[in-house]
Amino acid sequence: MYDIDFSVILQAQELILQGLIITLRVSILSSIFAFILGVFVTYLRDLPNNFIKIIANIYVEAARNVPLLIQLYIIYKVYPRFGLSFSPINCGIIALSLYTGAYIAEVLRSGMNSIAKQQSQASYALGFNYFQTFFMITFPQAIRIVIPALGSQFINLLKNSSLVSFIAVVDVFYVIYKGAADDFRIYEFFLAGALIYMVLAGFIALATNILEKALKVYGREVRV
Amino acid sequence: MNDIMLNSDLLFKGLRITILLGIFSGITSMILGSILGIARHSRILPLKVISAFFIEITRSIPLVLYIVFIYLTCSPILASINIFHDDIFGSLEFQSSYIALSLFTSAYIAEIVRSGLKSVETNQIQAAKALGLNVFQRLKYIILPCAISRMMPALVSQFISLVKDTSLASVIGLIEFTRSGELIYERTYQETQILALIAVVYFIICYGMSLFSQRLEKRPFALIRLGF
Repeated sequence: MYDIDFSVILQAQELILQGLIITLRVSILSSIFAFILGVFVTYLRDLPNNFIKIIANIYVEAARNVPLLIQLYIIYKVYPRFGLSFSPINCGIIALSLYTGAYIAEVLRSGMNSIAKQQSQASYALGFNYFQTFFMITFPQAIRIVIPALGSQFINLLKNSSLVSFIAVVDVFYVIYKGAADDFRIYEFFLAGALIYMVLAGFIALATNILEKALKVYGREVRV
Repeated sequence: MNDIMLNSDLLFKGLRITILLGIFSGITSMILGSILGIARHSRILPLKVISAFFIEITRSIPLVLYIVFIYLTCSPILASINIFHDDIFGSLEFQSSYIALSLFTSAYIAEIVRSGLKSVETNQIQAAKALGLNVFQRLKYIILPCAISRMMPALVSQFISLVKDTSLASVIGLIEFTRSGELIYERTYQETQILALIAVVYFIICYGMSLFSQRLEKRPFALIRLGF
């Protein structure tokens, strides 16, 4: 009979903590980059230039329709052939940012679509240029509507960050898997791992809720 | 290029496993997800609590963790059952990744089903009740046609994620499309060509599905007219 013994977790405490730091570093850095990328791509897709629009669309579709694991392998194994080599952890950050950036661009686009066209037309008529219209008129309204969807993208990013262990980055998942496989303490380690991810995801969900309430504008409760 | 030709057998076998895994876990997760979604939407408290518990836990842990956990815990049981003697369906890796992917995707599908059911206006349901339709007639004629057409885009994008997620089954050593490519370039050192090929194949499958979903969005009742 299998008897559950949580002291193995306490013994591996140090390693789990180190893995947690790596996971947090990867997810926080890539969520920042992914958000910037997503906003930038949304801006490009909002411009009235078809060529730029097509390029941005190609990026978004390519990043959304190829598995993250393949993208990670491409950055880790193919880029060095062309003289672009990064450390494994940076590879993970780049891949996650590119992947999630496309999803964030798509979420933001659905927010932009719900903003009435008259608003940007009015602001052009008042003499705002494209950049000013985007960042001062339409985008601030769009982002409020899509905050819940953005939050779920950040939770996905956190969960996807476990894939960096495939290219030998020692994150939480790697530590958990190693611990479970070496000591054959499957239940203890996986329970701990699941709890860690659930707590982190819970924090993001909480932050999203708070932000959504703080930025709520009455009369514009549009569901996307 | 020559190496790809020489190893095309392995690649095709991997692609077949990926597609089979996608189709089978898609069907299972659709059934399981609908049950869970309806249970969470229902007014029966125990059902609601249990399904909400499962859905929320599954949705907040990474899929890799799920696959590895199912593989390590279920493989002794699966090995003792051992119904299939096929070399694809009989392998423990295939069975455990099938279970993990089905359970994982069903939690997401349950949320889609629940939001679809929630989106049907109460007036319509009340009108159906007033016309004397019973529960099943209401579901068949009023709620489902409405809900399914609203759920369709989200469901298709979930299936696209499922196809992409099958690549994660390589973590437990299932030789699906990604792993078969990996095996080849570990031998031939031709990462560039093989990874590009794999990416293009995944892109074609997933983008095809998303084009299909865009068509459905334009003609949402096409499936219902076909008698679905």
